[in-house]
Amino acid sequence: MTIFIGLINGMISAATPILLSALGGALTYYAGIFNIAMEGMMLSGAFFAVLGSYYFGNWLIGMLFGILGALLIAGIFILFSVVLKVDEFVTGVGLNMFSVGLTTYLLRQIFKVKGAFTDPGIYSVPKIKLPFIEKIPFIGDIISDQNLIVWIAFIATLLVNYFVFKTQFGLRLRAAGYNRICLDTSGVSSDKIKTVSLLLCAVLCGFAGTYLSLGYVTLFSENMSAGRGWISLAAVILVSGNPIGIALVSLLFGLADGLGLYLQHIFPSQFTSMLPYIATLAALFFYSINNKKKMEVKL
Amino acid sequence: MAHNLRNILINLAGILIAFLLGAVVMIFQGYNPLETYEALFGYSLGNTYSFMTVLKNSVPLILTGLSASVAFASGPVNLGQPGQLLMGALFATVGGLYVDLPSVLMIPFLLVLAMVGGALWSGIAGLLKRLFNMDEYITTLMMNMIADFFTYWAITYPFFEKNANHPQTPRIIKNGWMPEIGDFNTNFLVTLIVFIIIWFIFYRTTNGYEWRISGKNSLFARLGGVEIEKNYMHVMLLTGALAGLAGGLIIMAGPHRFIKGLGANYAWDGIMVSMVANNGIVATLIYGIFFSILQTGALGMELITQVPSELITVLQAVIVLVVVASRGYFTLLLSKIMTKRKLKERSA
Repeated sequence: MTIFIGLINGMISAATPILLSALGGALTYYAGIFNIAMEGMMLSGAFFAVLGSYYFGNWLIGMLFGILGALLIAGIFILFSVVLKVDEFVTGVGLNMFSVGLTTYLLRQIFKVKGAFTDPGIYSVPKIKLPFIEKIPFIGDIISDQNLIVWIAFIATLLVNYFVFKTQFGLRLRAAGYNRICLDTSGVSSDKIKTVSLLLCAVLCGFAGTYLSLGYVTLFSENMSAGRGWISLAAVILVSGNPIGIALVSLLFGLADGLGLYLQHIFPSQFTSMLPYIATLAALFFYSINNKKKMEVKL
Repeated sequence: MAHNLRNILINLAGILIAFLLGAVVMIFQGYNPLETYEALFGYSLGNTYSFMTVLKNSVPLILTGLSASVAFASGPVNLGQPGQLLMGALFATVGGLYVDLPSVLMIPFLLVLAMVGGALWSGIAGLLKRLFNMDEYITTLMMNMIADFFTYWAITYPFFEKNANHPQTPRIIKNGWMPEIGDFNTNFLVTLIVFIIIWFIFYRTTNGYEWRISGKNSLFARLGGVEIEKNYMHVMLLTGALAGLAGGLIIMAGPHRFIKGLGANYAWDGIMVSMVANNGIVATLIYGIFFSILQTGALGMELITQVPSELITVLQAVIVLVVVASRGYFTLLLSKIMTKRKLKERSA
């Protein structure tokens, strides 16, 4: 039983950053942006969250800094891809590299360390204890004592779902991706919609980054996003941006991650660490097989 | 010719802007930008030895850059250079540990082995696309991570060196080391030959023509009778082999063994080089050497002026973004001026 609870908790904590950045990716996906900069936004967010938390001794300011860090990357993305019309893919790759460089450079400049920075003065984002629910066996062990950002991710899923499908802005967002010219001629600037979607994406990636550095650990290490932005991109593509679908896929990746930790006793850790990436390939495989069948039925 | 000159000027302008931005950052941090750039270029170009180091270090940049350029210009979005490089390096290392041949045979043998390693890894992604229509830009990325862990496992368990402090293999047999002529490492010679072959295939053969046409307009190519699927597989295998070769040459020229974290420095460099070079084969060679000058000089910059060498990673990214942006911007500006001139001529 404890193993099972541990597995579920491991799944939730591994799924949270992927879910948050994938929700951000979904917003830009609907707006028709080929956005691969989630990785960079997350990494920058993780670094600045530690910076804010360390200097102000306050996790809330840390979280705010995390969001600002991700917004910095989004701002440059907007400058290059929306204003200067540089290819989105080139901008994304350039910015991901920029984030790696910027964070390692600042790590040495500000904290005078290489590799990783940790300090008792960094305050982590608190866990939320639910007074009555925590007494309930099993359910209490899972729902209570989760990190604040896990709850933010949960609420964000519902919000994004509502936002995309039930509001005027959501309609315009989808129109921007579906037929940009049509939207422009109806008097709504698609560039403006794209800009807003990128900024919102950065806020979500900022939370994801903050969770990485102030959630389950309290440290920043070089390149600590470790491909999670790419996994979240895969999640977005798998379900064509649907927020609820993204939540399910993220949990699946989280499960692969959590399972890996348990299998470490049996297999070398190098193999168990591959699991989330293999799970991504497997998910893509089933998605493609399914698509193929659908096409055949249509024909 | 005028077109080439314009291209060169645009690239130089982009690099200049990027360096100016770098200088602004340095001034904010209280460093002297002139001294810093002088230290950077002095360390990488100051004497023959340092220039030879630049050439040696440029090999993985050029080869992964060529891999990305050929792939992108032909259509397939092969982002798997980091993984293919690692697999190539592993194959060459294992070959170098267990096979002993005279140098003349050993070096080509290991080079081919490295290419097979890289092509195997890109070939899997190619097959996944062909059989199941799985997009290569995701599969190659995931396979990068898998190759990272797989090689880490290989040097920790089956091929590890006993008594070493951290995961690494023993040195490969000496006959497999790339020979040095004075300070010049022949790994650059191999790269130059490969560059010429790739240039020839790409610009002077029917296959190369078909690849380029498919990259520009795959529908047109298909209607013209180009076998897109066959070409796709060829390009994936070739570009994987190029990245694998980069890995093999790192082993054979440099540490002569597989050390943990070997490919990390080159992870996205090849893709960055191809982007800033606009997928041009010659431009890839030039930018590969240029990025190597920056990376090699970064150490000197840190030694002399205390500016952390990581600044160069930032500078590289800025160069890519600014050069690509200014290419688009200046091209637009020039065509605007040309149109105005034409209009005037007509009205006159």
